[in-house]
Amino acid sequence: MNKLQTLKRPGLPGWLILTASVLLVLVCLFPFWWMVLSSVKTLRELYTVPPIWWPAAPTWENYRTVLFESNIPRYFLNSIIISVGSTALALVLAIFASYGFARFNFKGKPLLQSFVLVGQLLPTAAIIVPLFVTLRVLNLVNTYWGLILVYMIITLPLSVWMLTSYFKNIPVELEEAAIIDGASRLECLFRITLPLSLPGLASVMVYAFVTTWNEFIFALCFATDSSVKTLPIGLAEFSTEFNTDWGAVMAASVVMTLPIAILFLSMQRLFVGGLTAGATKG
Amino acid sequence: MQKQSTGYLFVLPALMVLGMLIAYPVAYTGLLSVTDNAGNYVGLDNFRRVLSARATPTAFWNTLWWVFGSIVFQVILGVLTAILLNQNFRGRAVVRSVTLVPWVVPGIVAATTWAWMLHTEFGIINYMLTGPGLIDEPVGWLTNGSTVLPVMIAINIWKMFPFVAIMVLAGLQSISNDLYEAARIDGASFWEEVRYVMLPQVRTVIVAVTLLLVIWALNHITIIYAITRGGPANRTLITPIQIFRTAFESVQFGQAAALSVMFFAVAIVVVFIYIRTLASNPEETR
Repeated sequence: MNKLQTLKRPGLPGWLILTASVLLVLVCLFPFWWMVLSSVKTLRELYTVPPIWWPAAPTWENYRTVLFESNIPRYFLNSIIISVGSTALALVLAIFASYGFARFNFKGKPLLQSFVLVGQLLPTAAIIVPLFVTLRVLNLVNTYWGLILVYMIITLPLSVWMLTSYFKNIPVELEEAAIIDGASRLECLFRITLPLSLPGLASVMVYAFVTTWNEFIFALCFATDSSVKTLPIGLAEFSTEFNTDWGAVMAASVVMTLPIAILFLSMQRLFVGGLTAGATKG
Repeated sequence: MQKQSTGYLFVLPALMVLGMLIAYPVAYTGLLSVTDNAGNYVGLDNFRRVLSARATPTAFWNTLWWVFGSIVFQVILGVLTAILLNQNFRGRAVVRSVTLVPWVVPGIVAATTWAWMLHTEFGIINYMLTGPGLIDEPVGWLTNGSTVLPVMIAINIWKMFPFVAIMVLAGLQSISNDLYEAARIDGASFWEEVRYVMLPQVRTVIVAVTLLLVIWALNHITIIYAITRGGPANRTLITPIQIFRTAFESVQFGQAAALSVMFFAVAIVVVFIYIRTLASNPEETR
């Protein structure tokens, strides 16, 4: 063992790592830097050739336009309601379904599990039309509930997948002992399994929230009234409504990105851990 | 464990919701595809009309370009990034977090920001390229028919390669140290280690991720729709956008459904072939 440890592990040369890292960071971050910079430029500075790298007098004018003279605040509220609602619903449904898949063996389980995954494989464009008709029949077009329900299609499958593999990694012996002591299945789930899977739950929550917050096409089809429109739609409208006002568009982009950036950066470790665990252990 | 039927009760609510939202609409698409807007049965009329539309073959080829162009580069860049992030160096955690940013950011934000950067007159990209003389004069990236699709593909690559990187990185980090040690005893260089240890070990991850990327490339039409809506002159029209426009702009639900059925069938066949080739490959069945 000692001898092996003395063998030096070959690696990339330092200069290559440095160059590649700098390039990677630049490629990933430059658009956001440019977005923030553009959002504090005055109209005149935005439309200057050559572009100005650092605004002489940063202005809040664009943010004032977005926050007080547009529908963006209302859309922000709609986005919060819809994302929180669909995250909560997906979490509840996924907890029960994953527990069922992880702890029981029943007839048709592989089939049902693959049915859940099919949702992830389905081309969404192919079911927009019938979904629209379904929602219209249920009177759910242009309601919060309509979008919250529809978002189950995109959040539930991966949530069930991630949580099932998480539950499977929790030793079943803990629950068996509790059952011998007379605990019911639900007590096992809520008293033993769930408290032990908080990181898994957190990653599912972040995933569901981020996905629904960012979703564009369903929102475009099923929320056509400004009382339920979400931020992505608001942003898209903004760039046509104020075709030339790129400063306001960039400010709205910053407003929309901030919650996601904060949520993601604070939960990053949990989220990435949960996601990759689901993928590699499946 | 006893009373296995209890399992059904646990999975039932989720399955009911998914059944209502997936199984029913899929069946309903089939029905819509053979009826007109008034609900009368019209046989294969919708299919005939869609297939004879000039936009359909254009959209089909654009979709192929969009999917393959995106995926090839997403996988290559993603794997290279994963290999880089698998190295030990100071600041690795920061670089890793930063790499994820394009993936997490809302698609619509990425679309508008890139659209602004690619602005013909005031965009930073044209400035950066004309400055050092890489191009002679500003290019209308989003209005020029020959550049617009490659540009869309580039944005999509930028948006999704971090996902490949993070999945492959997880695979790389779960490789047992024994394999590296064996390679080192044999005196393997770094690139030999990449080729004979890392890549074979993460093949399954790459294969699974590629399948997801194909499906996402077909699903995530946000970037194209938000920037060009399929234009100019249908140069970026891909089939999902054609479905969307047929349904909600021309209000031809029957034709949109017929197109959906064909799109769905092709997607299923591709996925099926992909999974079958995997299953028949003895290396993958471990």
